[in-house]
Amino acid sequence: MRIPGLIATITLIVLAGSSTAQNVNPLEGDVRAIQGGAALFRSQCATCHGADARGISTIESPDLTLMWSESQRSASEVYDIIRDGVPGSIMPPNGLGETELWMLVAYLQDAGGRGVVNMPPGDPERGIVLFAEHCAECHQAKGKGGALGPHLNQITRRRSLESLISSVRQPAASMSIGFKTVSVQTTNDQLIDGVLKSEDAFSLLLMDRQQNLRGFAKADLRQINRLPDSLMPVFDPSRLSDSELFDIFNFLEQP
Amino acid sequence: MCKFLILPLPARLVLVKSLWLSLCCGWSLVVGVSAQSNGPDYQDILAGFADPERWLTYSGDYSGIRHSPLTLINPDNVSQLRPVWTFQTGTTTRGRGFEATPLVDDGVLYVTGSNNYAWAIDARSGRAFWTYRRNLPDDLTYGASAPVNRGFGMLGNQLFMVTLDAFLMAIDRRNGVVLWECKLADYQTGYAATMAPLVLDDRVIVGISGGEYRTRGFIDAYDPQSGERLWRFNTIPGPGEPGSETWPDDPDVLAAGGGGTWMNGSYDSELNLLYWGIGNPNPDYFGDSRPGDNLYSNSLVALNPDNGELQWYYQFTPHDINDWDSNHMPVLADIHWQGAPRKVVMVGNRNGFFYVLDRVTGELLLGKPFTATTWAREIGNDGRPVILNDGSQGCLPDPWGSTNFMPPTFYPGLDLFILTARETCATFVPEEPANIPGQANFGGTVLIDFERSSGALRALDVHTGEMVWEFAYPSPSFGGVTSTAAGLVFAGDHEGNFMAFDATTGENLWHYQTGSRIWGAAAMTFLLDGKQMVLIPSGTTLTAFALQN
Repeated sequence: MRIPGLIATITLIVLAGSSTAQNVNPLEGDVRAIQGGAALFRSQCATCHGADARGISTIESPDLTLMWSESQRSASEVYDIIRDGVPGSIMPPNGLGETELWMLVAYLQDAGGRGVVNMPPGDPERGIVLFAEHCAECHQAKGKGGALGPHLNQITRRRSLESLISSVRQPAASMSIGFKTVSVQTTNDQLIDGVLKSEDAFSLLLMDRQQNLRGFAKADLRQINRLPDSLMPVFDPSRLSDSELFDIFNFLEQP
Repeated sequence: MCKFLILPLPARLVLVKSLWLSLCCGWSLVVGVSAQSNGPDYQDILAGFADPERWLTYSGDYSGIRHSPLTLINPDNVSQLRPVWTFQTGTTTRGRGFEATPLVDDGVLYVTGSNNYAWAIDARSGRAFWTYRRNLPDDLTYGASAPVNRGFGMLGNQLFMVTLDAFLMAIDRRNGVVLWECKLADYQTGYAATMAPLVLDDRVIVGISGGEYRTRGFIDAYDPQSGERLWRFNTIPGPGEPGSETWPDDPDVLAAGGGGTWMNGSYDSELNLLYWGIGNPNPDYFGDSRPGDNLYSNSLVALNPDNGELQWYYQFTPHDINDWDSNHMPVLADIHWQGAPRKVVMVGNRNGFFYVLDRVTGELLLGKPFTATTWAREIGNDGRPVILNDGSQGCLPDPWGSTNFMPPTFYPGLDLFILTARETCATFVPEEPANIPGQANFGGTVLIDFERSSGALRALDVHTGEMVWEFAYPSPSFGGVTSTAAGLVFAGDHEGNFMAFDATTGENLWHYQTGSRIWGAAAMTFLLDGKQMVLIPSGTTLTAFALQN
């Protein structure tokens, strides 16, 4: 890793634009800065935040790729957090220089910015109707909808087009933590299926199909089955055409 | 290096005595005849669990077996265990909270928390007598990323505590006032101190954290009264010193070779030997810059506590590139080994192997995996692991290891070594680091497959290393383990459960959800007013349990 040489070059760029405190990262989109920031990230940050910046759930470190869309952080806020740390948490302040800090921000902007790049054309108004018909029972968007599946706020800014299409056409291919399918049989022979929310050695928490949050003592369960299929139905093109899908994506894309 | 914040102890006593005589002589006579405790002395600590109302050192005694003789709580009545009180630190610490074992003497608990807070707590009510908080600099290095503390050492009226800015302090146990403090190392380079000091007869033994930075580990001994440093054992040898042949011939590499000593050690008073685990070499994952075995990283060392001289060592993971620090509690026991009495030291290691060594000579008696591991198949006749892969192919124990610093327990008679086992799968991606002082210097990164991770409490037969029983956890835990002579094992898990098990069968007998993961901490137990109390730290709370009447 030859970061010092890279820093010397990039410092000029930063200094040229740093006469005042800035909200815009002077290195945003700079390929060399993104690569250098990635190297810094791997050496300084990845132990807690994961090599892909998506966080480590077992130590509750946050997914940094969601920082821009979900938390709506500005570049300067992220810069300050990296520099100053988070008081009351194990996120420490950092002694990195200004250029290195902007390089890290550039990397994180790049890592978090991989949404739909070229949105196919579609009718967002029709998308509202289709979303209500096919999705809203389980998914939330713009404050409306169910909670059995993940919320879709700003999903087009977080996931690529290919990934979004895949999760509609083959929902079981990738199920996130918190949405895996589980079926339990109680000792009084009730059968309940839903999505697994949490589990320890003695208890199991799920959301059932009716979207009720339900907790069970494992001692009260005769059987626990972890199912490979998603509760989300497969929407093949006969059920939802590509153009209908793009209508929905265009609706979700709207601010 | 040392600073007295109030007068040294002998002078202070003289001053106090003269004030008593001159100002309140009549009343002082009455006070003088009342029984004033001067706190435990070395003989009290050496006696270990002999006085069940006390717990005076990190493991309860010097052996590290963490096995209390108390039997009032037993398998028949443990289901009646109920919380008596909960102490909350009032501080916020995401991720890492209490990792200490409280000490107890005369009904008062002494415990340290994260961010260098500390308390004296009434064991009956859970109320604090005093709170101590250290003013820490805002540019901590390792101490900022792991702002934890594993507890006090204790001698007389003094409590000993190490700090995130790498000091050793003596605190007056009666009021929380700092008596003296002594700088261990420069925190700005990357050092911090987090372990529980080990107090021997006339010295306080401490270790250091920061092996993820360009630091050089050590074990120090200090005079308990003056704070004067008596000796230092450097865990990474200097140029030309024994062990330096296992490193490149480069003083800069040696001076930043890592080898932290961030856990408490154990002590055999008859052999007069101190046993201590040594951490990873630096950089953690990038080994190309440090070819060789890198002694004494990832080793157990036996030291003469009088002068810090090395008596023997055993290296568990030569040339570690997986961050498998060997900072575990070395567990000392006298057992029958293949028909003959033998003094052994046992270690459940982060690298996935359980080891039994002769603690007189350091001879390896047993080394056997207790979790799945693809890095080594077995320990060869030469005492070295038979290496299978270097981590780039995946499914080694992850950098947190097959177990970690959470204390295990040894159950005498059953001859079971009971520990928290972590089943994990990780791929290591080494990368040459920038080698900047004061900055973390891992040398690469790790991809962890969380879909393939789980945990268990496991009991191993110390004679064979075979698993006798296990209790499965849904995720890899960091909770420690304690046993009692009633046939009970207490353990905590990552989901926050504090649990009791039958030591013979592993059957779960009781559990209580504490509300936060139990991380690094293990239970302690003692007698209070004739009742057996059990305490567990969890997150930022400390909960006391007793049998329901």
